[in-house]
Amino acid sequence: MSANSLDQMLLDGKISIVDYSCELIGGQVARAKEKKASYLWTLEAQYTMWTNIRDAHKNGKKVVWFGGIIPTELLAAFDCVPVYLDVAPIRLSPSPELAGKFIDEAHKYCPSTMCGLDAIELGMTVLDQFGDKPDAFIYSAVPCDSSRTAYPAMQKLLGVPTFIVDYPYRRDERGIQYLSDQTEKLIEFMEELTGEKLDWEKFKHYMGNANRCFDLQIKNANLRKHKPCPLPGRFLVMNSAINAMSYTEEMGNLLETEYKLGCALVEKGVSACPGGEKHRAAFLQDMLWSSAGTLDWLETQYGTSVVMDTFGFQHGDFYEHMDDRKDCLRTMAKKQQNDPMIHGAAGPTENYKYLVNELFEEYEPDVSIFMGHIGCKHTWASAKIITDMVQEKFGLPTLFIDVDGVDGRYKTNEDIKSQISEYMDTVVNG
Amino acid sequence: MSYQKLFDHKISGEAAKSWRAEGKKAVGTLCCHIPVEILRAADVLPVRMRATGCGDSTDAEVWMSALSCSFARGILQRWMDGTYELDGMICSDGCMMPSRTFDNAQHINEKLGYGRYFQQIGAPRVYNEMGIAYFKKELQDLVEGLEKLSGNKVTDEKIKKFVSLYNEERALVKEVMDLRRAKNPVISGEDALKITLAACDIPVEEYIELLKELLADAKNRTPIKDKRARLMIIGSALDDPDYLKTVEDQGAIFVADALCYQSMAFTGQCEIDDNDVLGSLADFYLKRLVCPRMLTCRDELHAFILKACKDFAVDGIVYQKMQYCECCGGESLQLEKLLKEIDLPVLTVQREEKHSNVGQLAIRAEAFVEMVEKGE
Repeated sequence: MSANSLDQMLLDGKISIVDYSCELIGGQVARAKEKKASYLWTLEAQYTMWTNIRDAHKNGKKVVWFGGIIPTELLAAFDCVPVYLDVAPIRLSPSPELAGKFIDEAHKYCPSTMCGLDAIELGMTVLDQFGDKPDAFIYSAVPCDSSRTAYPAMQKLLGVPTFIVDYPYRRDERGIQYLSDQTEKLIEFMEELTGEKLDWEKFKHYMGNANRCFDLQIKNANLRKHKPCPLPGRFLVMNSAINAMSYTEEMGNLLETEYKLGCALVEKGVSACPGGEKHRAAFLQDMLWSSAGTLDWLETQYGTSVVMDTFGFQHGDFYEHMDDRKDCLRTMAKKQQNDPMIHGAAGPTENYKYLVNELFEEYEPDVSIFMGHIGCKHTWASAKIITDMVQEKFGLPTLFIDVDGVDGRYKTNEDIKSQISEYMDTVVNG
Repeated sequence: MSYQKLFDHKISGEAAKSWRAEGKKAVGTLCCHIPVEILRAADVLPVRMRATGCGDSTDAEVWMSALSCSFARGILQRWMDGTYELDGMICSDGCMMPSRTFDNAQHINEKLGYGRYFQQIGAPRVYNEMGIAYFKKELQDLVEGLEKLSGNKVTDEKIKKFVSLYNEERALVKEVMDLRRAKNPVISGEDALKITLAACDIPVEEYIELLKELLADAKNRTPIKDKRARLMIIGSALDDPDYLKTVEDQGAIFVADALCYQSMAFTGQCEIDDNDVLGSLADFYLKRLVCPRMLTCRDELHAFILKACKDFAVDGIVYQKMQYCECCGGESLQLEKLLKEIDLPVLTVQREEKHSNVGQLAIRAEAFVEMVEKGE
């Protein structure tokens, strides 16, 4: 089936987002196999994720939706299929029409300034068009006011057993203990939902998978510190699937393939920019999901690698003593607190400033772009503090662009490119 | 009329000035989860910050961008332009925007070397035992911060004294707000908001006396008889009585509200367990219904609104949403369904801190009043 007719079916409400994604990516996988395309590996993990969601009930598994950062390894240990809600808007965002359908539905009830990620999640719940109804819903009190508005409304609409994880505002020892204590309650919730006790051996298996994924994620991030940066900016978008899939072997395999490729390119001294790396750009806010092609364009047009984005930056907390329940839950809490979106955006600006500082120290960019998703108003409200620091400490003026990372109707790709061009031509290369 | 001060709704630095002249500290507070009883127990004057009358927040916009809530931006503007001459600021993470007001004010303070006191406390977003225990620890930090600032020891006895005073304040405000239950109330919605805004700047002892005088004089006040519709106002933080006046000038009267600068800031009575004074405060401040920032309060908030509509014989609701306020702007999905069930119309309006769309609001309000008014 062509992508156009699939789009139309989704627009007409004839298929769910899950079926749409399975069909779309399934088609891409089949074509890539036929052509023996080198990028096949980038599709396989996504395809597995979507088909796992589609077939969960058929396979006798419970589906648990989650919003914010919830440890997937724990949900998987209960033999459930965790569904990270952000995968839906990120999947739809390349099509303004599809994203727009669900955003407009949410805007009937919520402020039009609500983040597009949350708007799509609310819209798809109102229209009951994601796929099978979940068996449970778990959401966190972060990252922002948009999610804190959307999730409770979705909880009401879904009417399924729900658990809320309350993230503390500051990131400290008290917060780690608070989160650990809540995870004990979450385990009780899951035990009640599934009627099974937590199988620690199974949990250890998934913790192992998560360790592998985050280890590879950090290794890939470290590869990006090389000059030239061997990996394309587009991989930063792809790697953000880690929050959805770190419990799976497929995610580990994807990151491993990326790592091997990166190592080979480093050895050859090859850049992701076809004409060689002239500049290294840092994105100081969200990723531009609705227009990932802009990253390719920066590489070809300006020889500029996007070396890292603030919310792709990882700390790396690993499960070390896997037979020690207390230690595992504390590690889990640290991982939750240190997730870049949470660490950087959901708490005090100081955390965000720290993250940007680390990014500039470690990746040495010479181009600073605040690619500001308009839904992320609280990061906009920190932007001057952040960019003043970049100017004062690293001597770089920052380009501010207002974009909607999810709703492509806000600004066309051409408009975005034109704003970047002006900056590159006059400030960076001028 | 001795209680006229209650109707001076503009931000007043008088009380803070006198307080500080005595060598004591006065501190701005942002959001409703800061137990003011603790501040007073440290002999620190709490000044609830607001943006009332802030028509131009250009300087603050430089820091917070145009994509920010103009109420929160307005407070930063007031802080920067010297409207508030205070020794520092305390913030609880009500919603993200005032938290950013705090962050920027703190940053500017550090940059300019003012050395003022800044303290952020984290308030959980769920009400349960773990949340209360966590919040109690945050309050202990607040006690320590204030002791350091003021040089005064905060004791349980002092806290209890001020809990008692603030409970009296809460009860009196409720009595005043309840005057609006009457068929022909003696205070308008505009005046009701002015009265509660006055609490932001005035020490609680003085405020209590003013409320008592108002209540004693209530029977002498002229009942408002020329109104065609009784309305309730809900939604974002609203600290501008002129906004209510514009609607009331079209033949309506606001008889009820669910606003954080009005009734919601004064709900309930704090009950103290002598063995756990801070825990009692933590419980009270997390439990009381103020705004939708708590994830576990939606049903309760909606029930409160429905009950108020019944108790105050409301004909319609004005739901005002501040631009960029997601926290208070997302109630429509559930609430409108509930209001439809009891056949109560809602006028939803978007606004900014600067009351600029007066004409447009007036036209919409007039049409709404015509729609909901009930003949005798």
